[in-house]
Amino acid sequence: MFTWSKTFYQVTGGKIQVNYQSIGSGAGAAQFLGKNLDFGASDVPMPKDKYQQVAGQFVQFPVIIGSIVIAYNVPEIAYQKTGKYLNLTAEVIALIYMGNITQWCDPRIKALNPGLADKLPCKDIVAVHRSDGSGTTAAFTLYLSKAYPAWNQTVSWGYTVNWPADQKAKGTGAKGNEGVAQAVLQTPYSIGYIEFAYWATNKDKYDQVGGVAFVRNDNDGKYYFPTTENVAMGAAAGLERYIKKYGAPPAPDADWNPVSIEFSNPPRGYPIVSFTYVFLWKDYAAEGYGDAATKAALLKAFFRWVLTEGQKPENIVEGYIPLPSSIANIGLEALNMVKP
Amino acid sequence: MTAARKLINWLGLGLFALLGVAAVVPLFLIIGDIYIKGIDAINRLGGLWHFLTALPPTPFDEKGGIGPMLVGTLYMTALGALLGIAVGFPLGVYIGEMRREKFANVSRAAVNILVEFPTIVVGLFVYAVMSLAKQSLNQYLLDPLSKALSPVGGWITQFIGPLDGFNAYAGAAALAIIMIPYVALITASAYASIEQQLREAAYAIGGREFNALFVVLRKAVSRAVVTAALLGTAKIAGETAPLLFTAFGNTYYAPFTGPTAAVSLWIWYAAQTPYSVQIASAYGAAAVLLTIILIIFIVARIRG
Amino acid sequence: MLGLLLVVLLIPYLIAAYGLLFVKLRWGLRLFGAFIVATIGLLTAMFLVEAYPIIARDGVAVFLRTSWDPARESYGVLQALAGTVLTSAVAMALAMPMALGVAVTINEILPARLRGIFGSLVDLTATMPTVIYGLWGLFVLGPTLQSLINYLPGGMMTSPYTLFTAGVLLAIMITPYAAAVIREGYALVPKPVEEAVYAVGATRFEAALIKLRYVRNYILGGFFLALGRAMGETVAVAMVVGGNYARFTTNIFESGVTISSLIALQFPNAASYQYMVPALFAGALLLTLFGLAINAAAIYIIQKWQI
Repeated sequence: MFTWSKTFYQVTGGKIQVNYQSIGSGAGAAQFLGKNLDFGASDVPMPKDKYQQVAGQFVQFPVIIGSIVIAYNVPEIAYQKTGKYLNLTAEVIALIYMGNITQWCDPRIKALNPGLADKLPCKDIVAVHRSDGSGTTAAFTLYLSKAYPAWNQTVSWGYTVNWPADQKAKGTGAKGNEGVAQAVLQTPYSIGYIEFAYWATNKDKYDQVGGVAFVRNDNDGKYYFPTTENVAMGAAAGLERYIKKYGAPPAPDADWNPVSIEFSNPPRGYPIVSFTYVFLWKDYAAEGYGDAATKAALLKAFFRWVLTEGQKPENIVEGYIPLPSSIANIGLEALNMVKP
Repeated sequence: MTAARKLINWLGLGLFALLGVAAVVPLFLIIGDIYIKGIDAINRLGGLWHFLTALPPTPFDEKGGIGPMLVGTLYMTALGALLGIAVGFPLGVYIGEMRREKFANVSRAAVNILVEFPTIVVGLFVYAVMSLAKQSLNQYLLDPLSKALSPVGGWITQFIGPLDGFNAYAGAAALAIIMIPYVALITASAYASIEQQLREAAYAIGGREFNALFVVLRKAVSRAVVTAALLGTAKIAGETAPLLFTAFGNTYYAPFTGPTAAVSLWIWYAAQTPYSVQIASAYGAAAVLLTIILIIFIVARIRG
Repeated sequence: MLGLLLVVLLIPYLIAAYGLLFVKLRWGLRLFGAFIVATIGLLTAMFLVEAYPIIARDGVAVFLRTSWDPARESYGVLQALAGTVLTSAVAMALAMPMALGVAVTINEILPARLRGIFGSLVDLTATMPTVIYGLWGLFVLGPTLQSLINYLPGGMMTSPYTLFTAGVLLAIMITPYAAAVIREGYALVPKPVEEAVYAVGATRFEAALIKLRYVRNYILGGFFLALGRAMGETVAVAMVVGGNYARFTTNIFESGVTISSLIALQFPNAASYQYMVPALFAGALLLTLFGLAINAAAIYIIQKWQI
């Protein structure tokens, strides 16, 4: 978002400053509702209870696609050594984070990886998760909840969850994606979930100590490697499924929680995808903002740029995936709802 | 002197020396690490002057800087330190000098409790007060004030005017609240440590109590008070958590009545991105911040 | 309006207090004392008001529960308190000897020219931005400690980020505060006392011990300043403590969480939940009560030693 802001600043000749700070998805929503911010951004759509308070007064739309990869540190089967990455399924990942699969040589892991089965060591798995409340955790746990019902019952999903692995002293937390990335790199026999960008920029380091997993999409049974194309495939498939189920693409002023549920664990493609959503008020003057007309016009100009020019590859930072045009159009439609 | 006592002497002093050195070794490690990476980063990102004035880099940029952050930190730290010393110093005198009074001990307990509050909570407190006060403050005080001051020139709106929910003054207030206990406690120590005879002499010469405490005893306590002021200022220059919900942060030059940038906030953000140019800018920023703190120290040591 | 009054009355209050200093010194000073007491009062009031919803719903259970489960809106802060206690204990156990070492080294061992430099170095440690300590802890200290501890038989750190890591990092950060206070007192040991000590033939080490005993109230003062700092440190601890909310643990080699870092880690997203913000403020309240208890203990100790 910061990159977009700066590029837009340069494109408009320094006339428009959009100040974006990442303070956390929940804070983004809360400060937006508290009218301290002109727009809010979040990895998760507006929560249901908050949505009901302001339904119809605001719009939300995705601006970019992100993804989460499962990185691991098992020197015996490092990519540099064996040339192979692990295959994992939602069930196995969930069981690891529930503390039920405790060692790398567990038969369930071996069954998914016949080529590496004899090399998997019998060492305890350290499951690394986020110590701070995070949209990454939310997307990851939402995926596990949908793909593996037992997870949904015991743990459910959210910015922070009660990790069963912690209770069994098999897990540990680290702050921020950077923290988890470091923890996995530094801790032998660990596994962690991190945003795509944090793995992509350090790929060789991970290949030295382990690697990243192919994740199986349970809906079509194929293993997908985290790449831009596979993630875009997943996002588009999710939208298709939503349209099939509800008959039309999601409206910008509707509650998007059902949308995010449909998008998670899509029928095809890399199954762990997440969106970044932006919140805008429909009528800034009515909401009590000073200078409402200028603000609204500026915001519309900025986000129109974001949804069109901003989605071009040269404006997307590494590790993020541009929106398919069908989804970008939802955003453009949303902008039309913002007065004036 | 027996050999045993000599041995114990050497061992004991050696142990103390070891502990003393252990206290500063991490400092060297950290400073070394930061300066090595920071100076390299500053060079890569465009040289010192550019780094100190330019806007922060995006992952696509090759050059960048921390201009807005530097300005924001300097402004908020200066204001916060001013307020912190203004309140902390008399408070310290009170606690240290008037220990017989019950209320002084209550105040001391209050200061001790304030020291241990999580710094983020202080920020939340200022945020809460700000939210309560913003509306009426802007309406009754700041709007008329800024209109009255507008003949002075457009630049005044950078400093005084209606406040947004997030602004530099809230940040400075949070920093001041954090600084007060440190200044107070160290000042209190200084005053409490004055020998009774010296104190009696000061009172005898000084006439009024004010004279005695502040003029005559000046030399005796000034070193400690200056230490307290410096320690406090340098500490708040590096604080992050209290600014998160008060100043909020900014990536552009902007009026102080709105969200304001800070070097510590930028380090907090940039060091946790995966993009090497931003991580480099974080190291550069850290190096700049450390240099500022060092300068404050050296200046004071020379003068005091 | 309340907020406006608060802010607007502040400036005249301070001016009045300053003015009084010149006229009636003692009353002026008392006003400053009142200011700080009022600030604490307001902060505590804010905690109570914000924490009220969860105390109304759960009673004191929030202070006794040990798990943190936002998905089910069930919160407990006891494990965080345990984390605060453990990390502070580790930090103080390491920091106090170092602070004493610094004081003695500066005043007894170093030649006069080096004293200023060494002292400034120690003070510099205090002023290093906490986020830099956090980063250093994340990239350097955590992994180093993990390798170190895992060499010892029986020591087991599964992760680089544990309560122990946080404790060690805290010790490095708080030593200069304790050291500053102790140095003050140490340097001001009266000459007659020092001369008497050497007159009876003490070695430098023995003299150091005697002087330390002489300034024991400074040591106590330094202790509590450092302890307060340790309990309140948010950012650096948040980056290295490990974030295990789900279990009450007394093993310092496990990941954990402290109250301060809990608030820092969870607050940004807390507004999305119904009871999380009150739960976090309940944690702050617990920390305040704990701090009060420690202060009471301090007063008791001072009276017993009769400084």
